[in-house]
Amino acid sequence: MRFLTFIFTQSFRNIRHSWGVQLMTLLTVTLSVLIFSFFYLIYTNMLQAGAQLGEELRLTVYLESQLTQVEQEEFKKKITNFGKVEKIVFITPEQAFQRLAKQLGSDSDVLADLSPAFLPYSAEIYPHKDLGNLIRIKEFADYLKNLPGTQKVQYGQAWVERFGHFIKLLRFIVFISGTLLILTTMFMVSYTLRLTLYARQDELKVLRYLGATNSYIKGPVLIEGFALGLFGSSLGLASLFFIFQWIKNHFSSAGFMNLLELRFLPMPSSAIILLGSIMLCTLGSLLSIRTLLKK
Amino acid sequence: MLENLNESHSAHEHSALVEVVKVTKIYPPDVVALRNVSLSAEKGELIFLTGPSGAGKTTLLKLLCRQEIPTKGLIEIDGNDLNTLSANDIQKLRQRIGVAYQDFKLLPRLSVFQNVAMPMEVQFKSPREIRSRVTELLEKLGLKEKKNKPAGKLSRGEQQRVAIARAAANSPLLLLADEPTGNLDAVTTGLVMDLFRELNENGATIIIATHDESIYQGSNHRKFELQQGELY
Repeated sequence: MRFLTFIFTQSFRNIRHSWGVQLMTLLTVTLSVLIFSFFYLIYTNMLQAGAQLGEELRLTVYLESQLTQVEQEEFKKKITNFGKVEKIVFITPEQAFQRLAKQLGSDSDVLADLSPAFLPYSAEIYPHKDLGNLIRIKEFADYLKNLPGTQKVQYGQAWVERFGHFIKLLRFIVFISGTLLILTTMFMVSYTLRLTLYARQDELKVLRYLGATNSYIKGPVLIEGFALGLFGSSLGLASLFFIFQWIKNHFSSAGFMNLLELRFLPMPSSAIILLGSIMLCTLGSLLSIRTLLKK
Repeated sequence: MLENLNESHSAHEHSALVEVVKVTKIYPPDVVALRNVSLSAEKGELIFLTGPSGAGKTTLLKLLCRQEIPTKGLIEIDGNDLNTLSANDIQKLRQRIGVAYQDFKLLPRLSVFQNVAMPMEVQFKSPREIRSRVTELLEKLGLKEKKNKPAGKLSRGEQQRVAIARAAANSPLLLLADEPTGNLDAVTTGLVMDLFRELNENGATIIIATHDESIYQGSNHRKFELQQGELY
């Protein structure tokens, strides 16, 4: 207990003595966490949006010919072999014709001289939320294309593929930014603390002459690293929350944003970012003191 | 393995606390600071290490607190060969040795109180104990009014007394004082010597390196004279 009291007292003393440098490092950690969390927040919301849109998605399979009852059951079985679906609805040309007329509304008189025969038989498949991932939808569509009797599969391929590419790109950005920011944070903390230790070289020498053990010297430095990680990441996450709230309040009614239900980072993710930052900063401080104690 | 250092020391036990056996110290390239020096100090003894400037007194004290390593020879403190101690054990040993350095080695930005308290903080003594002991020492050495002053703003004589107070703070097993009265007048020299006597009466082994004859002349404590790195 006394050991802890001394360590904390010494840490506080050290931070007070080099508060300028410590503040800069704190801001660096805050910015690093903010930037990484910002990208990660966009990524998670995009995933969420993809899942949401995937739930509302339906695939239309155009058939070569009408299927008998037995063939329909067979068809359904093959579909469910891939994954769960909410429902499968077989649409006759007549039903499709009626839908088209409804969609055309006041222009439906253009269909007056036409017969429904030009429209193919089709099956509308409503995927289960397990298939709601847009990447999976593409795989599902490719599977359906290869089923016997299938002429064509339609599900809004173009934008789904673009969305899929966007998600992949975002994932890459998050990964790269995360890696760079991790390295930046660790080295920044390590070098800052090493600088403060160099400034305290005389004090450390005297402490060694007086019999201070490695634990006595290392302890306050580790506490400083821990504190930098804790406060830096907390500030970063808090800043992100305020930015998120501001965006939500000012942009939630605009266009595409209206379709999304924006959500902040879930607690487990925030906790992982917090703990990760604390760990990195503490590791950075350990690196700095180990290098100095070796000399 | 560190032996005995945590046992309390009683005054005038007749066993050697310090053993220096044929110690030579050569600084590169070929500066012989000490040559074949052998001496011992019993537990609870006060001895003087005398000689002119450059005789090797400071070097010997540095060897005793493991600030330097001998080129040849053996040094034992309370039965522990300094050459075989681990880094951690050396630090624990240093906690039991108080050193008043000739160049003081104070931290100028810290106050007098904080400087004197440092050895006690290293041993995690309670704040109450620290306050009591530091106040007591500062009173004995006439520094009570300066306790909150930064050590860097003191005179050399005052800094010297602060260094001595710091060395005595933990009531050490062994106290090494390097020219402890070099910057002091007769009155403050008296205060310092009174403190040393008190510590010695309480069982501390004290080695005082000095060329100040006034503090060892007429004394019945043992004296070792160093001349050009050798004992006379």
